[in-house]
Amino acid sequence: MSVLDAPVTSAAPAAPTTGLTPIFVSLKLTLLRNGLRQSSGRRAVFVVSLVFTLLLAAAQVLGLVLLRGNEHAGTVVVLLTGVVALGWAVLPLFFPSGDDTLDPTRLVMLPLRPEPLIRALLVSSMIGIGPLFTLCLVVGSVLALAHGAAGIVFAVLAVPLTMLLCVALSRAVTTANVRLLNSRKGRDLAVLSGLVIAVGIQFVNFGAQRLGQAGGLSTLDPAADVVRWLPGASAVASVDAASDGSYGVAVAQLLITVAALAALMWMWQRSMVRLMTSPDGSTLAAAEPAREESGRGRLSALLPEGRTATVMQRSLRYVARDPKTKAAWVTALAVGAIVPLLNAVQGTGSVYFACFAAGMLGMQMYNQFGQDTSAFWMVALTISSPRDAYVELRARAFVLLLLTLPFTLIVCAVTAAVIGDWQALPGALGLSFALLGSMLATGAVASALFPYSIPQEGAFKNVVPGQGGLAWISILGGMLAAALLAAPVIVPTIWMHVTDRHDALWLLVPGGLAYGALVGWAGLRIAARRTAARLPEILAAVSKG
Amino acid sequence: MPDRADARTKTGVETDAAAGGAREARPAVRVQGLWKRFGDQVAVAGIDLELPAGKFVGLVGPNGAGKTTTLSMVTGLLRPDMGKIEVAGHDVWTDPVEVKSRIGVLPEGLRLFERLSGRELLAYNGRLRGLPGDEVDKRATQLLDVLDLAGSQHKLVVDYSTGMRKKIGLAAALLHNPEVLFLDEPFEGVDPVSAQTIRGVLERYTRSGATVVFSSHVMELVESLCDWVAVMAAGRIKAQGTLAEVRGDAPSLQNAFLELVGAGGRDAGDSLDWLGGSR
Repeated sequence: MSVLDAPVTSAAPAAPTTGLTPIFVSLKLTLLRNGLRQSSGRRAVFVVSLVFTLLLAAAQVLGLVLLRGNEHAGTVVVLLTGVVALGWAVLPLFFPSGDDTLDPTRLVMLPLRPEPLIRALLVSSMIGIGPLFTLCLVVGSVLALAHGAAGIVFAVLAVPLTMLLCVALSRAVTTANVRLLNSRKGRDLAVLSGLVIAVGIQFVNFGAQRLGQAGGLSTLDPAADVVRWLPGASAVASVDAASDGSYGVAVAQLLITVAALAALMWMWQRSMVRLMTSPDGSTLAAAEPAREESGRGRLSALLPEGRTATVMQRSLRYVARDPKTKAAWVTALAVGAIVPLLNAVQGTGSVYFACFAAGMLGMQMYNQFGQDTSAFWMVALTISSPRDAYVELRARAFVLLLLTLPFTLIVCAVTAAVIGDWQALPGALGLSFALLGSMLATGAVASALFPYSIPQEGAFKNVVPGQGGLAWISILGGMLAAALLAAPVIVPTIWMHVTDRHDALWLLVPGGLAYGALVGWAGLRIAARRTAARLPEILAAVSKG
Repeated sequence: MPDRADARTKTGVETDAAAGGAREARPAVRVQGLWKRFGDQVAVAGIDLELPAGKFVGLVGPNGAGKTTTLSMVTGLLRPDMGKIEVAGHDVWTDPVEVKSRIGVLPEGLRLFERLSGRELLAYNGRLRGLPGDEVDKRATQLLDVLDLAGSQHKLVVDYSTGMRKKIGLAAALLHNPEVLFLDEPFEGVDPVSAQTIRGVLERYTRSGATVVFSSHVMELVESLCDWVAVMAAGRIKAQGTLAEVRGDAPSLQNAFLELVGAGGRDAGDSLDWLGGSR
């Protein structure tokens, strides 16, 4: 008898609670397999990332096992587990995964009870490359720590508990924020994640260097002593405690993890029930309160009429509001400051490292029209002569200078102060000005000759497929050309240092400023003529995103 | 860029009053031997067009007929492989200063500066076109009002619906009071209320003597709005003239259109004879 033949009963059928978990697991496996079947490219990416992850995980397990017996093993393992748990909590916000089985909004029409649904989702979330990697790490961690029978008992409990906690943490955070993630604001947030990574790498790099200098791992002990008691790492820490014979501490730490897991499951379930029984988030953007009257009367009244002020205002608004532009700017500002300053703090730098800031910010002049996306048509329709194009490009350069000049001054001065080498400051300033002018010039010309589209979605895609070569030629060639253009200031700077004429270094400030302005102006003139002649070509190139 | 509002209300309306004689003499758009090829695909295969000034002109054709390509070339956003285009008597490619100040454009498939609010977008566009700030503000307020966007003028365009985007795009295209307005699929994806609003604004605008050229594949719409129609298919102009001329003996523009693009006699025939038969 098939379902169709069954008599309709007035009582609602009991929700299928028993077999839900196996169904979800097989659904997840099927989706994974079908996803891979779709394209060979995707299959290749999957295999490569699987192999890479396995190699990394194997290396990690090996490293952790070798750590066994080391006096700092507990510290390292606890901190590592803490970082991984934190990653599980934060990453879903930045990389909303396209995981179909786990998107609860797709299950809204099914008669499912919350508890079995949560259980099934939790178990099926354990399938994937991320959980596999975490599993290897956690197993390696307990292998490094477990000694004696008690240690092994706690290890056997700690591995599944830590895994479950990581997954539940990630799911709870995602579900609580699903409205945000599905809205425009959430997508903006995802675009900004590139910035977190770029800036984070600088700090990790610095931290690692610091660790190497400052007498090794024992500096981390105080941090680890705190993290031991935080859920996520506490289960692994309990293995350490049990191996040392402090059973009371071990039990307490294990209980912290169990309590945290229960609390997370409860929170997850609550936000899921709310999510599935209230209106969806698709109308969220429309319901968002209107922006404040953003001061047409206030700000614009101060600006002069004409294209320069209009273009500057629009560009500045984009720096503040457009996630792609904002991410590029904040990354450039942060990296431009971090590299010279951290090097100065470590005593390895030179004041001339501060020129890095000018270089990073000068990069923002490249691909100006790509930053407009296909909205460039609005600009193109109002440019009818090289003069229009010149004013347009000059206004964009002004915006860059408005943010870059004070920043360069500050970075140069602070770097000089930290190193205590005030003598070299004028040289660094002059060089920065010349470099900035050269970058503006080459950036403007590259914007006209090699425009390319910037995809608006995704944090790490800054070039659409097929235009990667164009982007590289534009930036790499432009930077080489900028370095060559700045040579008339670079050479005298080196000469003054080599011949010990430090008292003449101040000449480089007006010299660099004048030279930078001249080169920048010339570059804008050349770029303006090319821009005015190539409007349709530029529009076509920037409309592929 | 000078504003021709005053100039036109004087001369334009007078000419219209004088039976449109002067405007008939100079077409709004004249296209000769226009070609565009993308790789192997010929998008526009040598078209000649003459669109009269002061009329509501419809450019109709099936998807892929080359309407957008043609409008892009006419407005200077796409470089033709060959051919000559004049708008209001000036060559689009050799005299952009004269042409760009006289046209308003609402393209299809291109973005707006979406991280500006509706009002900021209008202010930006008006000032780029060289209008004085106070005048831009005054016109923007009126356009936002008429187009029913006053309530969302401070919302970012990225949060606008399709209909709202079309309306703010139309407002931006009208802001400098152009002589010729080019609209690519202005009613595509627009709800009936917004469509009626857009329609009202456009009808009022053409009554002042300006020209509207718009593309569409909705025949009923073209039939009810346009005085003049050009039918395009496979990159060529199949017919052009007044609505009555193009329609000819056919009962509706739809039938005439199907006839012109060669899809007239096609029906399902015997191949689906089971459909709707005995079950």
